[in-house]
Amino acid sequence: MRPARRTRTRRLLAILAASNAVVLAPHAHADPDDYVAVPAVEYGEREVELRLGTASATDEGRESAASLAFGYGVTPWWATEIYGKWHRSGATSFDAIEWENRFQLTEPGRYFADFGLLVEIEWPRDRAEGYELRLGPLMQKDFGPVQANLNVLIERHYRASEPEVTELGYQWQLKYRFAPALDFGAQGFGEVGAWNDWAPLHEQEHIAGPAIFGKFALGGRQVLKYDAAVLFKLSSAAPATTLRAQLEYEF
Amino acid sequence: MPFIRIALATALLAAGAAQAAGEPEFALTIRDHRFTPGEVRVPANVKVRLVIDNQDATPEEFDSHALNREKVIPGRSKASVFIGPLAPGRYPFMGEFNASTAQGAVVAQ
Repeated sequence: MRPARRTRTRRLLAILAASNAVVLAPHAHADPDDYVAVPAVEYGEREVELRLGTASATDEGRESAASLAFGYGVTPWWATEIYGKWHRSGATSFDAIEWENRFQLTEPGRYFADFGLLVEIEWPRDRAEGYELRLGPLMQKDFGPVQANLNVLIERHYRASEPEVTELGYQWQLKYRFAPALDFGAQGFGEVGAWNDWAPLHEQEHIAGPAIFGKFALGGRQVLKYDAAVLFKLSSAAPATTLRAQLEYEF
Repeated sequence: MPFIRIALATALLAAGAAQAAGEPEFALTIRDHRFTPGEVRVPANVKVRLVIDNQDATPEEFDSHALNREKVIPGRSKASVFIGPLAPGRYPFMGEFNASTAQGAVVAQ
């Protein structure tokens, strides 16, 4: 088999294997420290990532979350990351372990848009939540100095004590490339309920607001990246304000 | 099985998109942690492919905030970076792993 064909075959097999692994396992609610995944992969890059988020009180009280991860660009088209996740709603507790995989499906800039695939499997500490799968396409397009991202993600819990529903959510961002250390734009996150039977608008969660992004080269392969956003409710079921931030050390 | 459908649809979309387009190519070489040529002149308003030949034994990352591209090129290998269509102007890039020497720019005109 020719090398290029072998690489394409391996890529499809890896994507299908990851998809099947998730499907074989069993609710969508965005964590306040969620982030907007991008379709590009940096081959050979290792990273330590910290994510923080807090959402103002709703009927369930203030909810905060933090995640610490280690990631690696295994191939030019596959990056994988393992997260430890903590949650605070009253008391702070270890919440889950998550395995995230991003697949770069197209070379950045080659076609009218860039495409990737996100496959996440989460093992919550609370066994009543079962296993969680999140999966969906990642899309990116540049409009001059503005980068636009849209990700449509479905999420499902398996072997959970509650009825298993496949839910639909989304993430988007706009980023204006101002300077390497400070780009600015906006981000938004939302969930509409079951993927095939959307909840009434007042039960859906939609949040959006301004965001900043930046990168500092520390020499050699070492880079520090950040992004942060203040997100406001766009629907009555969403928390009034969510603060989220992400810090990555790449080496 | 919506997961499988989405995965397959995305994979098929990518496979379909894999029909190569015929962008103009421009060669760039990395040697001794420097880009040659230091300036690459490309046509404005046209998508182009930079074919980067890393002749060093160590990897380098083509990095450009202006072009919104980051790509790691292993040692002694070639890689393609697609850019544009670009408005006329100068777009700096660098080799992030050796930023003190590996500097260059794409000039669209």
